[in-house]
Amino acid sequence: MIQVKDLKFQYPGSDSLTLKGLDFNIEQGEIFGFLGPSGAGKSTVQKILYKILSGYKGEVMVKNKALNKWGKDYFEQIGVGFELPNHYLKLTGKENLDLFASFYKLKSQRNLEQLFEQVDLLDALNKPVEAYSKGMKMRLNFIRAIQHDPDLIYLDEPTSGLDPVNAQKIKQLILELKAKGKTIFITTHSMHTADELCDRVAFIVDGEIRIIDSPQNLKTKYGKEAVNVKLKTGENQEFPLKELGCNTEFLQFIKQGEINRIHTMEATLDEVFINVTGKSLGV
Amino acid sequence: MKHLFILAGTDFKLIFRDPSLRAFLFFPIMLFAIIIWFVPSLIEKYEILEDYIPLFIMVGAVENTQMFSFISSMVLIDEKETQVAQMYGIVPLSRIQFLLFRLLIPYSFTVLLNVILLLTQPFVHISFIYILLISILTALIVPAYVLGINSIVKNRMEGMIYIKAFNMLVLVPFAAFFVPENFKHVFGFLPTHWILQSIELVSIESPQNGNLLLFLLIGFVFFAGVIYWLARSFFKKHFS
Repeated sequence: MIQVKDLKFQYPGSDSLTLKGLDFNIEQGEIFGFLGPSGAGKSTVQKILYKILSGYKGEVMVKNKALNKWGKDYFEQIGVGFELPNHYLKLTGKENLDLFASFYKLKSQRNLEQLFEQVDLLDALNKPVEAYSKGMKMRLNFIRAIQHDPDLIYLDEPTSGLDPVNAQKIKQLILELKAKGKTIFITTHSMHTADELCDRVAFIVDGEIRIIDSPQNLKTKYGKEAVNVKLKTGENQEFPLKELGCNTEFLQFIKQGEINRIHTMEATLDEVFINVTGKSLGV
Repeated sequence: MKHLFILAGTDFKLIFRDPSLRAFLFFPIMLFAIIIWFVPSLIEKYEILEDYIPLFIMVGAVENTQMFSFISSMVLIDEKETQVAQMYGIVPLSRIQFLLFRLLIPYSFTVLLNVILLLTQPFVHISFIYILLISILTALIVPAYVLGINSIVKNRMEGMIYIKAFNMLVLVPFAAFFVPENFKHVFGFLPTHWILQSIELVSIESPQNGNLLLFLLIGFVFFAGVIYWLARSFFKKHFS
């Protein structure tokens, strides 16, 4: 769906490159995540891909066509959920969505009320957006991005500003979109979101991609293939996963007292990120 | 065409729901009342003011453009401040279409207001073709002003400051009315100068048609250049 080769970009007035030659592909029907701290270049990549920023160097192909060869019909096929809520505050939620739906040839194929209901906003359908909370505006951002049934969806921090219940709802909707064959490109600094949603993630730091792989592979590769057992007595021991069932030391240990917990020693995505990039996402 | 009405409808909703913008819709009514009733009674009382009739007509025509210059500027500044402008960068609408659809209605309204003002002003008779040409030219202040403001400012606060500065800039060429004939065109570097010169010519009893057409032509070319240049700058900044 998307092929990017040696993508470079420098903001006017800046003395250094924001993107320093990125290479990545996104397959049709995939959820691909860009992970990195603020200022790493995640949003810049998305802005280039949805054609808000021009003047980049390198090759960007979308649906086997160079991005700069796409005309305004490109926008029929993409949906964008921005990082921050951006709506007309004096208009109602419905008026906001109706306005932007009117620009698409395929008109809104999705029922507006159904969309509002899916994100628990039905009661606020006819309320002015200035009366919405930040979380409500973010959910409105999300349904605006998908209301015209695009094939390619760009989501910038899709769960930012949402409470856990609504964040879970949005994640579920993203997975439903994937099940329908939509290609989704997420940028986030939430490892938890990336871990739950993405088929593959790219770690981006200082305008460079350090690694691309599936969250599971990364966690396994950078974690220990071992289990940690903790007994209620407080005793704690690690055992290799290999031939665990035949490991007499392990079997003796778990018989020796009541078990408090057993867990695998795979790394969290946060730990992998720090390991690979040497930086924390809190930066 | 559908988009033109949808966007115009949205703009009017935004204007009517914002008390600070809604109040500005009454500005032309006040202006008409001043030009049609107040100024004639003033001239009747103080005959010396008769010499300034062209000036009153100029002020009326230029100030008529200020309602939509202000309102449309503020609507677009709000759009930028709330980052809604980004949305227009990712919908199947070209930037030229966006601009045309946003500014055509304010521009057309302003042309209409000036046609009505120049037809109803009680001071001099102006032929309809000149009224139309002058109104079409004068209303070009609206897109130039809106694009100029929105190419510079980032938020409403900055907008208010620059709007004051632009108001003064638009009015600077009025000074030509008070300088000797030889120095009149010293203000020709501002496009509004050519509007004012055209209005002054049609306001005197025997306008020199040749000069009038030349002033109008310079005005149109000047505004076309300014609007083109400002639109390029606007496109670079508004959607990102």
